[in-house]
Amino acid sequence: MHARRFLPVVVAASAALALGLTLPGSATAATAASGSAVITESSTFFQQAAAQGVFAAPLPSATGAYSSANGLTSTFPVTGGTGNVDQITADLQLGGGLLIVDVKTGRAAAFTNLDFNTFLGQFTGVPVGGSTPVALLDPAGDLSVGGDGTAQTLTSSELDVDPAGAAYLNAHLQTGFFAGQSVGSFAVSYTPAS
Amino acid sequence: MRKTTVAKLVSAAALTASVVSLAAGPALADPPSGTTPAATDIVGVGSDTVQALFNQLSTDYTGTPKLYSWDATGTSPITTKTGATSITRPNGSGAGITALGSTTSSTVDFARSSRGPQTGDPTTDDFIAYAKDAVSWAAKSGGDAPANLTKADLQGIYACTITKWNQITDISGFTGSANTIQPFLPQSGSGTRSFFLSSTGITTIGSCVNQTVEENEGSNTLLQTNDSVVPYSVGHYIGQVYFSHGSGTDVQGPLTVRNLDGIVPIDTTNKTISSAYAVSAYSRNLYNVVRAGDWNAGDSHATALKAIFSSTGWICKNATAQADLKSYGFLPLALCGVISHT
Repeated sequence: MHARRFLPVVVAASAALALGLTLPGSATAATAASGSAVITESSTFFQQAAAQGVFAAPLPSATGAYSSANGLTSTFPVTGGTGNVDQITADLQLGGGLLIVDVKTGRAAAFTNLDFNTFLGQFTGVPVGGSTPVALLDPAGDLSVGGDGTAQTLTSSELDVDPAGAAYLNAHLQTGFFAGQSVGSFAVSYTPAS
Repeated sequence: MRKTTVAKLVSAAALTASVVSLAAGPALADPPSGTTPAATDIVGVGSDTVQALFNQLSTDYTGTPKLYSWDATGTSPITTKTGATSITRPNGSGAGITALGSTTSSTVDFARSSRGPQTGDPTTDDFIAYAKDAVSWAAKSGGDAPANLTKADLQGIYACTITKWNQITDISGFTGSANTIQPFLPQSGSGTRSFFLSSTGITTIGSCVNQTVEENEGSNTLLQTNDSVVPYSVGHYIGQVYFSHGSGTDVQGPLTVRNLDGIVPIDTTNKTISSAYAVSAYSRNLYNVVRAGDWNAGDSHATALKAIFSSTGWICKNATAQADLKSYGFLPLALCGVISHT
């Protein structure tokens, strides 16, 4: 029953991924922008979410991994970008998608056209079937950037659910779980197009 | 969509500033007369661009130990706190960073910096970003300068290969006079100077350039001719013009900040850096620089530094501090407290 309700969402997400993720910004560069954004769900959050029936998973071309020590790690490839992470001026386009399901309510939400903007300090995604980005996650806690102008990094010790994202997910999944949640940590590596 | 979101952020900043800027007490240059900061107080030196802001922040911060800030200019030498070594007053970001490196926390705890880390800075420093500013160029209202210059124009002007206004031919509708352009730069320790040169790609500074003026001071009569051109902090200008934070020599005078590469720097309606300029190559982060050793020491001094400067500290999270930032013309930084190194 639940799987049947999730299936259209997953199919739609996959279709969107197959059709729509050619993004501007690197088409004319000799070397395309590269790197990744990695969301690490802490074991604490993973267990609390699971207890509430909430699960999140990356969709291709993003990848996921799990260990009991580190929790769930989702890695999203950088597909384009402008600005510089180490100058806090970057706007990065990310491949893959993000699927969030609530098995208690039998509902799911999937996001594509993922983006991380350092000026806004937000990880955003466009709901499948929609067109308006939703701010999903905000890096917080101990924040650091580094790099030499080419290979650049950003890390945050915390990754909080954005209030707008919490409102969207709570409404869409018919839950009250997401408000005020801290997911885990966040890391970005980025090499601009050249 | 992205620009709309940035614009909303910028507009919200302006609205908040207009509401809250008058709530706090007046800022004082340097620690108040007759007050010597205690040895344990947190004391900063350096950037001219944000000295007025930090005078206000010092007034508004009620934590213990207290926060004090020494202006970039004034009498020199200075004894920054009780028991400190007397030092030449650091004038500018670079000088502040140098002072941080040549002293201990007995004299200087942090440097105000309007530029990011660069080659030559101590690798043991942490640059903690807290706000966004931008840099453009300014000229006398009603003078010979156009409303807009391109990066290429500025490169020519500062290389002294463009010496007269009528040599500028890439600005639509502008027919320049035959008068001689007078380019100025702030002193070498200035973060505004450093950022202006790097962001505009100026690598050659010709002999026609006067490099002695104090930044962001339109009161300087050298800058009040019809043909002067000088870099200017957009945020500082907004604070001077729209929020009446200028005083003494720290005023805009007859200067107005102009467009660069056709991008308008100021949203005059919302009295803030324009959303287009805020995401341009001419925007910059503002930093407080601390010694990594102090920051990570795990002692009461580290706790005091983090209480003010960290991502969860007073400047990043306190409503009064955030209102101060906006009132002095700067934009809040979503990733406030992010640390970078050389």
